[in-house]
Amino acid sequence: MTETSLYVLQQLINGLTIGSTYALIAIGYTMVYGIIGMINFAHGEVYMIGTYTAFITIIGLLTMGVGSLPIVMLLALMTAIIISSTYGYAIERVAYRPLRGGPRLIPLITAIGMSIFLQNYIRLAQGSRDLAMPALVSGGIQFGDPAVFEVSISWMQLIIWVVTLISMTALALFISRSRLGRACRACAQDLKMTNLLGIDTNRIIALTFVIGAALAAVAGVLLGLYYGTINPYIGFMAGLKAFTAAVLGGIGSIPGAMLGGLILGVTEALTAAFFPSEYKDVVAFSLLVLILLFRPTGLLGKPEVEKV
Amino acid sequence: MKLKHGSFGKTLIAASTLMAALGVQAETLKIGIAGPVTGPVAQYGDMQKIGAIMAIDKINEAGGINGMTLEGVIYDDACDPKQAVAVANRIVNDEIRHVIGHLCSSSTEPASDIYEEEGVMMITAASTSPSITEKGHQLIFRTIGLDSLQGTLAAEYIKDNIKPQRLAVIHDKQQYGEGLATTVKNLLAEAGTEAVMFEGVTPGDKDFSALIAKLKRNDVDFVYYGGYHPELGLILRQSREKGFDAPFMGPEGVVNSDLAAIAGEAMEGVLATAPKSFDQSPENAALVEAFKARNEDPSGPFVFPAYSAIQVMTEAMKATGSTDPYELADHLRANRFNTTIGEIGFDAKGDLTEPTFEIYTLHADGSKTPVSE
Repeated sequence: MTETSLYVLQQLINGLTIGSTYALIAIGYTMVYGIIGMINFAHGEVYMIGTYTAFITIIGLLTMGVGSLPIVMLLALMTAIIISSTYGYAIERVAYRPLRGGPRLIPLITAIGMSIFLQNYIRLAQGSRDLAMPALVSGGIQFGDPAVFEVSISWMQLIIWVVTLISMTALALFISRSRLGRACRACAQDLKMTNLLGIDTNRIIALTFVIGAALAAVAGVLLGLYYGTINPYIGFMAGLKAFTAAVLGGIGSIPGAMLGGLILGVTEALTAAFFPSEYKDVVAFSLLVLILLFRPTGLLGKPEVEKV
Repeated sequence: MKLKHGSFGKTLIAASTLMAALGVQAETLKIGIAGPVTGPVAQYGDMQKIGAIMAIDKINEAGGINGMTLEGVIYDDACDPKQAVAVANRIVNDEIRHVIGHLCSSSTEPASDIYEEEGVMMITAASTSPSITEKGHQLIFRTIGLDSLQGTLAAEYIKDNIKPQRLAVIHDKQQYGEGLATTVKNLLAEAGTEAVMFEGVTPGDKDFSALIAKLKRNDVDFVYYGGYHPELGLILRQSREKGFDAPFMGPEGVVNSDLAAIAGEAMEGVLATAPKSFDQSPENAALVEAFKARNEDPSGPFVFPAYSAIQVMTEAMKATGSTDPYELADHLRANRFNTTIGEIGFDAKGDLTEPTFEIYTLHADGSKTPVSE
């Protein structure tokens, strides 16, 4: 392979890694929007809480002398999922459910309020400085002629792909095969009708918040370990990127969120590859504007049918 | 523009210190020490104060200057530009003609205009903003290096010692980082080493994998980074992950124990320019003991520059036999002085002729050692 194609391959690998974590976070935005038509701006903060939970768990396990990598990773994932899901559920109960049925702008404002509250609450509890995640996984595989260009895939990148793939498959199976999944789809089609048919829609809505939070927590653990540092403000940018991914793929559509995340990640990596890397956000958001100009519903979104 | 006392009702005079104990001499020469005594950066004001007071005490112990004893008078500007102007007017009205201070560049700048106009000599031991000495003032000096000098020092070191074939200069697009990075890039280009990469990263960004792939592709063998430790720490950590192991160099902004926590082993061997630690130099050992005997901490960055400011001022008074600020200023520009921050001289603008920065190698445990040249 030529030097350029190897280089592009390397950047694709980097882009897919970031993109798959965007997709994980984007699911939370898209599922909530699909059912109740609101944008949960506190979702980025749930992701951030996931990384902090993972950080505390990992440090705790390491000081207790538990050094086995699979155990540490699994426990970190589990505690992060449990704590983040609890937050997701609590946010819905406290900030959104009491306002259901009101004007659409009001939950949007409480979402922003919730986001600011959570960010500052973690800042007060954990300090505003960057915390360094212990490097649990290091090294990787290299291929390609070193004299031309050596492509490297770190183990952490592989872990991110595998865990993302498992989570996404599990989600897809849950939505398409299980009774609760069917209820979710029914709610997304028509919330009122589903309620009339005897399904507790409040429970289903709470469930989507919990699922979204759990996937964001998975992304939090993975990205925390991949990047190496966390601070209370990481939720904002991650949330913005994931929201962009959700809109890009068609908000409300789960496959759309997955596709949107991957496209966004790869676009960023390829931009940084051939232009100064400070332009990667500019290009990513310009892409969003372009796609919305030509396909206002996003790549896989369905046009909203006028309900009479 | 002498204002009356009454118009400064709210100005604080925090304290006036230590009348010299040597009773015979009737005459005292008051020296103003202006800086924050209160407010969020009061601990920096304290560094300046203990340095200057120690120097004044040492000189008085040795018999004073030209038959006069010195007295340090402390003024509080709270690092607030408005209060700094009030303090400067107050100092002029108190007929003090020699000032050590101010501390914050934003306070020093407006105050220095007043001193220049009223014929008061001012030496700052802490303000590093280049614009303070760029107005052509005659009586304004400083005993601390400018931030931008770090770039010059780094470029010289890279040119003479590293001689990179494929240089990359990365910065964080902020005034401090990009300014230094541009200086280094330009100076090295003049010396014949063109950077193969010059680009910015977004402050707060976490993913540098694309940048690192690009560094690898360009076969970069040396990286200068202009910015702060959170981004450099991640770049180092992720570089190590991805098998990019060229050496890095950064400015004072990266010298921070947090860098070690973020970068871990990848920090070992990173080069950085940082202010010299004057309390570590053997010539100052006795003085360090004297500070410790008073329960004061000599390791602050402004302690020895403040001490040296008093030293050069009094040296000039001895040599000229005068306290006239204009005569002193001429003497300061024309001569070199042996001080606690080394042998120094002043250029026409009033800046030090040599940088007070040094090149250090950083270690994974967060410590640093000077690079022996």
